Amino acid sequence: MKLWPAKWGRQQRSSASMVLATLALVLILWLCALPLSLLPEPIGSNADSFADGVRTTVELTLIAGLAGLLIGIAAALGKLSRVPPLRWTAAAYVWVIRGTPLLIQVLFVYFALPVIAPYLQMSDFASACVALAFNVGAYNAEVMRGGLLAVPRGQVEAARSLGLSRAQTFVYVTFPQAFKIALPPLVNNIVALLKDSSLAYSVGVLELTNVGNRIQAATFQPVPILIATATIYLVLTTVMTQFSDAVERRFDVEGQQA
Amino acid sequence: MSPAAASAPLITIDKVNKYFGSHHVLRDVCTTFQAGEVAVILGASGSGKSTLLRVINRLERQDSGTIVVDGIQIRPGQADTKQLHALRSEIGMVFQQFNLFPHLSVLDNVSLAPRHVRGTPRAQAQAQALELLTRVGLIDHAHKYPFALSGGQQQRVAIARALAMQPRVLLFDEPTSALDPEMVKEVLDVMKELARSGMTMIVVTHEMGFAREVGDRILFLEQGCILQDAPPEDFFTRQQDPRICAFLGQAVR
Repeated sequence: MKLWPAKWGRQQRSSASMVLATLALVLILWLCALPLSLLPEPIGSNADSFADGVRTTVELTLIAGLAGLLIGIAAALGKLSRVPPLRWTAAAYVWVIRGTPLLIQVLFVYFALPVIAPYLQMSDFASACVALAFNVGAYNAEVMRGGLLAVPRGQVEAARSLGLSRAQTFVYVTFPQAFKIALPPLVNNIVALLKDSSLAYSVGVLELTNVGNRIQAATFQPVPILIATATIYLVLTTVMTQFSDAVERRFDVEGQQA
Repeated sequence: MSPAAASAPLITIDKVNKYFGSHHVLRDVCTTFQAGEVAVILGASGSGKSTLLRVINRLERQDSGTIVVDGIQIRPGQADTKQLHALRSEIGMVFQQFNLFPHLSVLDNVSLAPRHVRGTPRAQAQAQALELLTRVGLIDHAHKYPFALSGGQQQRVAIARALAMQPRVLLFDEPTSALDPEMVKEVLDVMKELARSGMTMIVVTHEMGFAREVGDRILFLEQGCILQDAPPEDFFTRQQDPRICAFLGQAVR
């Protein structure tokens, strides 16, 4: 990266990139109506609707992404557990979620869950968050499991021989190393999640794809609207990968990525 | 070093057996280790040396027999977690492959366990770590990461990391076997300095010179049994056992 002064250290450059990417995201969220309103019809007149859609898409991705990360770590630990029922539960979860379409899962949480258990009635937005979180969680689980298995056995032995408990060994020794290994595929999953959040459209959430589609239905101008929608997704995923690259650099103590 | 014969041994191993599947790795091993003693365990590969070391801090669980370390009794079967942590923080271990934590700086490698196991405040743990790094001659490398150090330097950090818990005994599992010849000396020098300072050490090694010079006692293992337990003088110069003579002949060559 040529963006930062050469004399800055790895951590400084990484922090600066993270701050910059976060600022870029905040700016996009609050101010994207402004550049959009300068575009010709039919985008300009619908800039505020687009901006609302962008905000909803980003909220869906952040909430489901963070929850999915935690679910993924929990499920990975479950699959590696020595307790058989935990192992079975985690394996069944990954099996069902990876083996069924996300669209069905979104529809199931919104329409079917309240029929089965009325207290699970949620708003369209909350339903989409839950379905997306559990979906990306299943994929994250396998990625985290791979990362945990890649940490050499001697690391755990060294930690335990120093008197660290099982939990401390995980927090201070195993997890940081596993997370570093799992980071690139985790980013894959989160980028996929950002785009998959468009399936929230199916339960009526007014996210970016839904907004674009409604405007298209009203104006009959598919070309500019679909190009604009796709471009906004591209900008969002670009900001996201800038952030994740910075995180990767932070973990790269060995300077493998110059 | 002549340990006070009257005092209770620091470590007592009583009729310990260990199986890996159908393979009988330790057979009724009985021995004791006194405080301040440097015991060297020799034997061919597969004789159970490393396993004997690893049952002492419960990296391996014995199938029968009892081990008592400084009053903490470890029996086969599920051990009490608290007792296990107490045991392990009394015993330091140095591994053949160093096993430093690659994501932590040298300083953090050494200060991690005191901070989180003993609850030592960060600043104090780091000050102690710097002292230990001075002792092993690596003060200039405190802020580097393990990958930037040579094998010998990494192993010296590993020794400092084990010492940071102020253990009653240090276990060495072939500490120089993964090192280039020119780095063996720097690690052995640190170990000799430790032995002189009165640290209790149990060392599995193939370094015959070290065993002879530093050891108070040589234990020779064969097929999971202690075949001989002798002072180094007797072991190396007045050896009677033909099997050990054959082993020593090969080791010298």
